[in-house]
Amino acid sequence: MKRTIIPFGPQHPVLPEPIVLDLLLEDEKVVDAIPTIGYIHRGLEAMVDRVEFTEMGFVVERICGICSFMHGMGYCLAIESIMNVEVPDRARWLRIIWAEISRIQSHLLWLGLGADAFGFENLFMHCWRMREEILDIFEKTTGGRIIHSVNRIGGVRRDVSDSELIAIVAKLDELGKAFDKTAKVFASDASIRHRLSGVGVLSMANARAVDAVGPMARASGVRMDTRLTGQNLYDQLEFEPVLETAGDCLARVVVRMREVRQSIDLVHQMVAKMPKGDGLPIETKVRGMPSGETFTRLEQPRGEVVYYVKANGTKYLERFRARTPTFANIPAMIKLVKGCDLADVPNIILTIDPCISCTER
Amino acid sequence: MANPFRLPMAPRTIRNLFSKPSTRRYPYEIRPRFEGARGTIKFDVETCNYCMLCARRCPAAAITVSREERYWAIEHLTCIGCNVCVEVCNKNSLSMSTDSKSVHTHAEVGPQGQRPGHEEWHGPDPVIAAPAAAKV
Repeated sequence: MKRTIIPFGPQHPVLPEPIVLDLLLEDEKVVDAIPTIGYIHRGLEAMVDRVEFTEMGFVVERICGICSFMHGMGYCLAIESIMNVEVPDRARWLRIIWAEISRIQSHLLWLGLGADAFGFENLFMHCWRMREEILDIFEKTTGGRIIHSVNRIGGVRRDVSDSELIAIVAKLDELGKAFDKTAKVFASDASIRHRLSGVGVLSMANARAVDAVGPMARASGVRMDTRLTGQNLYDQLEFEPVLETAGDCLARVVVRMREVRQSIDLVHQMVAKMPKGDGLPIETKVRGMPSGETFTRLEQPRGEVVYYVKANGTKYLERFRARTPTFANIPAMIKLVKGCDLADVPNIILTIDPCISCTER
Repeated sequence: MANPFRLPMAPRTIRNLFSKPSTRRYPYEIRPRFEGARGTIKFDVETCNYCMLCARRCPAAAITVSREERYWAIEHLTCIGCNVCVEVCNKNSLSMSTDSKSVHTHAEVGPQGQRPGHEEWHGPDPVIAAPAAAKV
């Protein structure tokens, strides 16, 4: 049969960021897909030889606008582990509270984008209205809506008062109730089911074979979550990763919806367990230069992120590298796109929650 | 096959037709910034001792200070609003206001080619000012 090549992207209505897939079609079926990345490569990792390690945190945060908090946190954790810095308890709790809130923010953003991609604009606006309330929480507590600049090597730069934390929990509860109504639409609407159910199925074996991470792997039933390792105080929380077994586009939507609920519960637990009181230390003074190398892993909204830092005892790091979740999920995406209909390609690409800024850095 | 008559969004869609919009009518209704939100850097030329700590620590290199010329300048469009300069200032000359950064146009390029958003201060010269005050 005659084959056609359709370039999908870099500018396409469903793509929030530029990525190219050259789709090789036979009739309406996709036979092969060749991804091209590199449209928004900014060389942020290479900036370590010009930017001091204390200031690099601000650069790392700007890798991506959606998971900016977690990037800053991961970088600080890496440097702290090289320098053996003991971070005060309250700062550690505050960090993971912000991290979970940013997970809610990211998932709401994605659910909106997903709804928009399958033509449900009304739902898109409802999701983004809820996300706005989360951004308000961030602006109140960190000072910034998207770029929070609140992590510092040795702790955090701002404290959140206990009364404010209780107010945040109350607000998240309220948001959770509103979210449940929206979640019902995602789970039961006929057009959404018709569009997503049974599309782009990634089996558990395939998910393991292509090393899918995050919600992508969990939607296929792979029990994998960096939070399970218990680092960053997650061992003190009751936590069980959200798993779905279907592995199709709908399962990936459902995993993210359930994770929003789960994150709200986690924030509840964290606020209950963190040390209370005014004037508790939130940072440790860090002196000296880092020397050595380390890996840090974190569970970002999109999956596992790995930071590698190599320092040589000067104020400039020798190497910094971030392996971001979308980069790990691209092989899975290609696997799903092969053999599907052309009309399903946008849904499959969107349900891996691509963050191209993270991928290319 | 899903039931095509199941439309869980329909009641809310109909309600939306008659309810108040979630958005604000922006130029007429402005939400005040939250307390503690990071906006623009404000500088107090009276208290500054030109120690240059802010310029050294600024991750975006937006601040220029000259101790000899008693000169302090900031490029507001380069500033990333990270609040580091405010935290390191010993004299509390710097503060972070919640006002968001203003919009600048190309027409605002200064006479010496200063970029839009450039703001500078010249402090009194203490070496000349001190003896003059003593004579009187």
